[in-house]
Formats: sequence, C-alpha cells, structure tokens
Amino acid sequence: MPVEKAQRLLNLIIGLSSTRHRLTRDQIRDTIEGYEPLPYGADEEARRKADASFERMFERDKKQLRELGVPIETVEDPVHGDEIGYRIRPAEAAMPALDLTAAELAVVSIATDYWRGAVLGGDAHQTVMKLASSAEHGPRVELPFAALPAVANDAFGSLVEAVADRQTVRFEYSSVSSGAGTRTIDPWRVVLRAGIAYVIGFDRDREEPRTFRVQRIGGKVRPVGEPGAYAIPKDIPLGALAESGDVATARIALRPESAHALRRRGTPVGAEEGWELYDVDYAHADALVAEVLALAGGARIVAPAPLADAVIKAATAALEVERG
Amino acid sequence: MAEQATDRLVRMLGILTYVERHGDTPFSELAEHFGVTVAQVRSDINALWVASEPGDSWLPIDFSADAFDQDIASLVRNDGVTQVRLSPREAVALVGALSTMRGAGALPEAGTQLLEKLRDALAEPVTVVGDDQVGPEIREPLVEAIDRYRRVEIEYVDAMDRRSTRVVDPHRLVVIDGHAYLECFCRRAQDYRVLRLDRIASATVLDGAIEHPPTDSAGFSLTPAFRATVTVGRAGRYAVEDMPGVVIEDADDAVVATFDVVDAAFVAGRLLAVAPHLRSVSPRRLADALERQAKAVLDVQR
Repeated sequence: MPVEKAQRLLNLIIGLSSTRHRLTRDQIRDTIEGYEPLPYGADEEARRKADASFERMFERDKKQLRELGVPIETVEDPVHGDEIGYRIRPAEAAMPALDLTAAELAVVSIATDYWRGAVLGGDAHQTVMKLASSAEHGPRVELPFAALPAVANDAFGSLVEAVADRQTVRFEYSSVSSGAGTRTIDPWRVVLRAGIAYVIGFDRDREEPRTFRVQRIGGKVRPVGEPGAYAIPKDIPLGALAESGDVATARIALRPESAHALRRRGTPVGAEEGWELYDVDYAHADALVAEVLALAGGARIVAPAPLADAVIKAATAALEVERG
Repeated sequence: MAEQATDRLVRMLGILTYVERHGDTPFSELAEHFGVTVAQVRSDINALWVASEPGDSWLPIDFSADAFDQDIASLVRNDGVTQVRLSPREAVALVGALSTMRGAGALPEAGTQLLEKLRDALAEPVTVVGDDQVGPEIREPLVEAIDRYRRVEIEYVDAMDRRSTRVVDPHRLVVIDGHAYLECFCRRAQDYRVLRLDRIASATVLDGAIEHPPTDSAGFSLTPAFRATVTVGRAGRYAVEDMPGVVIEDADDAVVATFDVVDAAFVAGRLLAVAPHLRSVSPRRLADALERQAKAVLDVQR
C-alpha cells in the first residue's frame, strides 16, 4: 500500500533531523519510508523512469517543506565528491514554546486575515494551526475585532523570503524621482508604516542603501544568484521612514470650530482677529502643508515663512491646472 | 476537495506537540481544538504512531495502546519530533498585522500579550513604524459598549473637518490598510456607517441597548459619485496611488490615474498638496472643487 503523502513528509523530517551528518538523495530514497527504492533487477529503461519519478517527488517534497518553514540545509562533503546531502537542525526547525491563551489564539486568526491571499495565501490556516499546538484549550473566544485583507501584492511575500534567505533580487520599479527601471538590490528588511509596505536594501547599481515602496514594484520579484550572498548590517538606516527625531514647531491660525485634528495635537497660544492660534509640532513639513491645504481656508500658517510660502505656491499652481 | 498533505502534516505535528505539553488528552478535546472530527484525530494519531526513522524499525513516537482504545491520546515516547516553526512569510505577516493593528489603535488586549510573546520568540522579523495615536480613552469605551451591547455617544470629526455628536450602535473594530474603523449603525443618519477611529474625539457608553444588529452587507461600501482622471508629474504620484479603485498608467515623466470619487471636496484637498505637479484634472466637477478650494486657501494665507 502506498504511504500517504503527509506520512512521507513526516518521515522525511524525522530522517533529516536524526541524521548525524547528512543524507544523500540515494540514502533518502533507499531508507525513508514512502519513497520507492530502485526496483531490483530493473532494466535501464525502467531504472531511468524510476529515477525521474523519485527526483520529481523529492524536489516537490523539499520545496513544500521549505515553504512550510522547515529549514532544509544543503550539505556538501568534499570526501564524497560532488554528491549533495541534506539535513535539518532540529533546534532551528522547532516552533519555540509560546504558551498561548485561547484569547491570544483568537487574535492570531484575526491577524492572519489581514494578509490572507496576498502574502499568506492559503497558508493563513496553517499559521493558526501551528500556533494552536502552543495554545491552551478553552471555549472559542469571539472578539469584536477584525482585520480586512490589505492591498498587498505577491512582491511583498517574495521580498520577505529574500530577506530570510539573504538572496539578491531584481524587479521593475516606478520611482517618483527617476522614472521606471530595473533595480537590483540586496534586501535587508521589510518595514510597515501605517499599513504601507516598504523594503530597505542595498541598491547594487547605485551602490548605496535605498528604500522602495512595495506597491510601486511591477511584476515579479526575481531572485538573482545564490542564497546567503550578503550580510545584513546590524543598524539599518530607516531614512525618511523613521519617526523623525527632528521636530519643529509651527504657529497656525485656526478658524473657530475647525481644524479639530490640528487642535488635538497643538497647544493653544491665544487669539487674533477672529482666529485662534495654536503651536503644532511637526516632523515632516510636507505633511503639515498638505493638512493645511486640505482645510480649504479653515487654517493659515503664521510661521515659519517657508511653510506659508509652500501653501501659497501649491494653491496658486492649482489655479493653473488644465481642466478636463 | 481532498485535504492538502501539508495541512495534515501541520495538524499531526500540532496534536503531538499539544499532547506532549498538556499530558493525556481525550480525542474529543483534540478534535475541538484543531477543528476536525474525532475519526480524523484517530487517523492522525495512527499516522504519527507508525512514523519511522530511516533504515531500522525504530519508531520515534509511541502512544499507549490501552489509552488509545479509550479514545485518549497518551504519549509514551517522543524522540524530538515537534511542530515546525513559522515560515518567514508567516512570521512577518503575523507580527506585521498585529503591530499594524496596534498602531491603528485596534489591537485587543490579548493581542498585546501575543505580540510580546512572538517578539521574544521570533527576533523581530519586521520593522513597523507609525501610530494613529488612538488612546485607550477612545478604544476602551468602544470595546466595552460592543461587549455589553450598549449604545455609545461619540464626537466625530469627519474627513472634511466637520464636527458632530452622534449616538451609534457599535458593532466591531476593523483594521484595513493600517487604519482602524468602527462599524456601527448611526442613529442620526439612520444607516450603517464606518467611522475612522482616529477621528473620534470622545466616546461615552450609554445605558440604552443597541437596536440595530450588525450587517454583512454594509461596512465598506461607500458609493462613488463619479470617476476622475488626473494627470500628475511623477513626483506627485504618491497622492493618487491610494485612491479607491485606482488604475495608474505610467507615462514618461507623468502618470495618468483614474479613480473613484466619493466626495469631490475631500479629493480636491488631497490634490492640492501636489498641485505644483498636477497637469490636468477631469471631470469639471472635480476641477471646480479644486479651484474653489485653492481660492479659499489663498484668501486666508496671502
């Protein structure tokens, strides 16, 4: 009777974890239950067929286990020529002890919904199952929270894997400043800011670290070269993504009963001719200017002057736009 | 559809790890915990039982046969087989989603503990920055009202900066694309509404019970009034790329974006920020709104 696939995968994990050194493909085929050993006395034709069928089966199993998170290492052994062997280090493959409560497990389900499809794909269910083995059993916890699938593309998942594998990637990117083009980077870290995904990496062509917005990547992220190709620096420059340490203060005049968001963040400092004055801290001048513009006359920048000028410049430009 | 082999493998390893940590466990409890039938649990345990090491007849996992006959999983021996860790995708997706929910101000309390445990175990797989600054003084009354099926009075500042006080029947907190929203029935509008949490200025739980149940059909269904087409220089691309239903065509040094407009004044406000890069705006309704708003800004700023 053929051994079921889940059983074969389990035997493969056990075999590769318990080997003292490594298992070669031939050893795997001959000793792990679920693979067909070479038929005794087979002729060349049958032998070739069986070889090809084993190769296909093993390659698929190896890929699936790696996608599942099982780190299957490739071990070369100079003593045995160029034959490749495989092994799993049990400590690296195991789920750390987490001891989750039933409520925490319920939050896992909500969180995996956030990226169902784009990043986790059908694996969202597997994530919950993996963590269920670390959770206490209790009545199902219903939480009045939800997370809806985010707009993410497959590029995000590929970049996460490239960071984990330290593998150079290439993709088409549409940049604000320099137009569309092909980029080759060593990805260092994925960063999320207010639900938007970025990747920071070393740009091979420009020879310096750059930040890329994942949404602007078109098409596939293709790996280039071998895994483990570079080291990831300890301190990664967050650049413009950082919570800026440089905070300046602007004085803004607000119409009564307007600009409530600015009021909440600011400090009242008096009134002047029907306007209420607030001091508001800001890290990014562009963001504050955009906020004042959007208020359509409900707010006016008193100081600093360059911010007031930026408001005038934008509003003046808007009057020049071609109307369709 | 037949079950995926890896789904079954993960559940088998889950059952093994669970029994190892919790001791003897009835099949019925395992079935409930992992969401399968008792027959499936029995079959999974059988599969674990016959798992073998290569070459010899050594079985690394052994269960008590007596207990098995009484539908109880009792582990006699486990030679180092455990659940597998999260894959890089899973770790980033989970920690990223939890951190994003927290930044948006809608992470349940259990989520905060979970995030700490995961960070200890996973060595911070993703960096998350940004915070909508929704404080507990907003979140807690909302969660309490939802839990107790009570109405809640909120002060709300909408995207057009209009302030209002309204009584709503709250249903659920939802995080979408990094921001948290309250799904509710608004008594003033007599309709279902989705309100952004970081625009709620105060929330007070009332004594009255909610009268309008949650609905599956409402939620994120703001009806677009029209579709707009905007040509903007590359440097202003960011202002249009998050618009609802956006389609962007990249040209040489500019992009042409078409997207849905729910509220022309709101979109005009966003476009003003990139006005120096704007080339054309249509239809006329949107262009008029842009002009009106630009003039209002110049009236006060000049």
